[in-house]
Amino acid sequence: MSEVIFGSKIMQLLIAFILVSTFMILGSTRLYSCVRSFGIQSFLLACVAGIVAYSTGKNDIFIVALLTLIIKSAVIPYIFIYIIREIKVKREVELYVNISPSIIIGGILVVISYYLIRSISIISELSSLALSASVSLVSIGLFIMISRKKALMQMLGILIMENGLFLGAISLTNGMPLLVELGIFFDVLIGVLIMGILIFRINKTFESIDTDMLKTLIG
Amino acid sequence: MIIQLIFQIFLIIAIAPLLSGIIKKVKSFFQIRKGPGILQPYHDLLKLIKKDSVVSENASWIFHAAPIISFAAVLAAGLLIPIYITQLPLGFAGDLIAVIYLFALARFFTALASLDAGSSFGGMGGSREMFIAALVEPALMLSIFAVALNVGSTNLGFISQTVAGMGLDAMSPYQILAFVALFIIALAETGRIPVDNPATHLELTMIHEAMILEYSGRQLAIVELGAMIKQLLVFSLLANIFFPWGIASQGAGASALVLALLIFMIKILVIGISMAVVETSTAKWRLFRLPELLSISLMLSFLALVSFIIVKGG
Repeated sequence: MSEVIFGSKIMQLLIAFILVSTFMILGSTRLYSCVRSFGIQSFLLACVAGIVAYSTGKNDIFIVALLTLIIKSAVIPYIFIYIIREIKVKREVELYVNISPSIIIGGILVVISYYLIRSISIISELSSLALSASVSLVSIGLFIMISRKKALMQMLGILIMENGLFLGAISLTNGMPLLVELGIFFDVLIGVLIMGILIFRINKTFESIDTDMLKTLIG
Repeated sequence: MIIQLIFQIFLIIAIAPLLSGIIKKVKSFFQIRKGPGILQPYHDLLKLIKKDSVVSENASWIFHAAPIISFAAVLAAGLLIPIYITQLPLGFAGDLIAVIYLFALARFFTALASLDAGSSFGGMGGSREMFIAALVEPALMLSIFAVALNVGSTNLGFISQTVAGMGLDAMSPYQILAFVALFIIALAETGRIPVDNPATHLELTMIHEAMILEYSGRQLAIVELGAMIKQLLVFSLLANIFFPWGIASQGAGASALVLALLIFMIKILVIGISMAVVETSTAKWRLFRLPELLSISLMLSFLALVSFIIVKGG
């Protein structure tokens, strides 16, 4: 069954575009365009879920796709933009690793995750594209968390990792039980809210959301 | 065969100025100006050809030879790129690697001539051009190789024939990633706005204009025409490798050839208009931010190769 879905051309295209949107996040220097790329990525993910739902005929995956569309590609980007506007942060992404090296590191991570996936022989050849894309999303999200200074980008990195896990789950199992998915969505939403409040607190205490400043002691 | 060869050369020379005229017109439409007519490049070239050229005292023979060598190199590349038929007159003589290095030869001699006259602007333009060339070349190669791997040949005529035969099946992830990569490269190769501004002589931004600042009269006409032809060739590379549908294959009749010619014109027009849209909607980038843009292009073509290997099971 999963060969039929993931072998189709449109699935391959969507997964390739998800990878491209991840590189758009890696390559942009503005917070707004990072958030916009994340919204596009989530929209593509919702399309993937929609196609899986359509071809398996399971109704609960339609609900998952709809939730992805609403929560990840509309509500969470809105929360991001709200935070950016409220704390009047400078719009540039500050980096430890420059743009072009980080793009190249992203490419290396894609290759590494492809080789990792290839050593697992239980999966079919065609769904390996989805699985290696998901592993590379997780590793690139981790890399973004490490290499960006702003606390907002750490939040975005963990959401990219979550998107990667979602892609992996849906490509391996054709959709987890609805209850599990609902729990994950609730977790993600609450996580974003808590992280947003945390960023407000960091901004209030340190007058900046640069994570470098967290090392200094405030009396 | 000989007739086709001569016809292709004349076709390239004849429609290259028209293409830049159309791009200028579209750009001025977006900027709410009237702009020059689309035949203006022809008038400019004719005017320049009638004039004598003024040459610096310090210039050596390289200054005189460079325009002719670059023009010949670009025109020779035109014989290796499918324009409206896949059966190329000189297809046996070289493949895409030859095309890339013919472009590199043209660029090398233009940069050399810019240093030769000894003006400071020329040297600056030459160094900037080589800086961009070093970034563009690997990305250009990788992106076409991603398609060549899929087809199994590096002959450009064969590639476009095979892709045309595949129909909508050709729309695979690697094809589209490579297309986006090559589109960014085409912006850099033809000196369009995020990389170079073709419309100004402002010393802070110009690259190609700075290199040819010392040329005048007939020599300038040859250099300008060479640049226009190169632009046409890069666009037809984009059109005929990724969207070759409608191209005439071997042994097509006269009516099929005319149809293929018309379709080619439309494709080039669409690419030219989209270039003009990109050019009006973006600002010129700082020179030292260009490696970011070109490394995105390099990484996209790299992703195209990787996803080809993943999907096809390397």
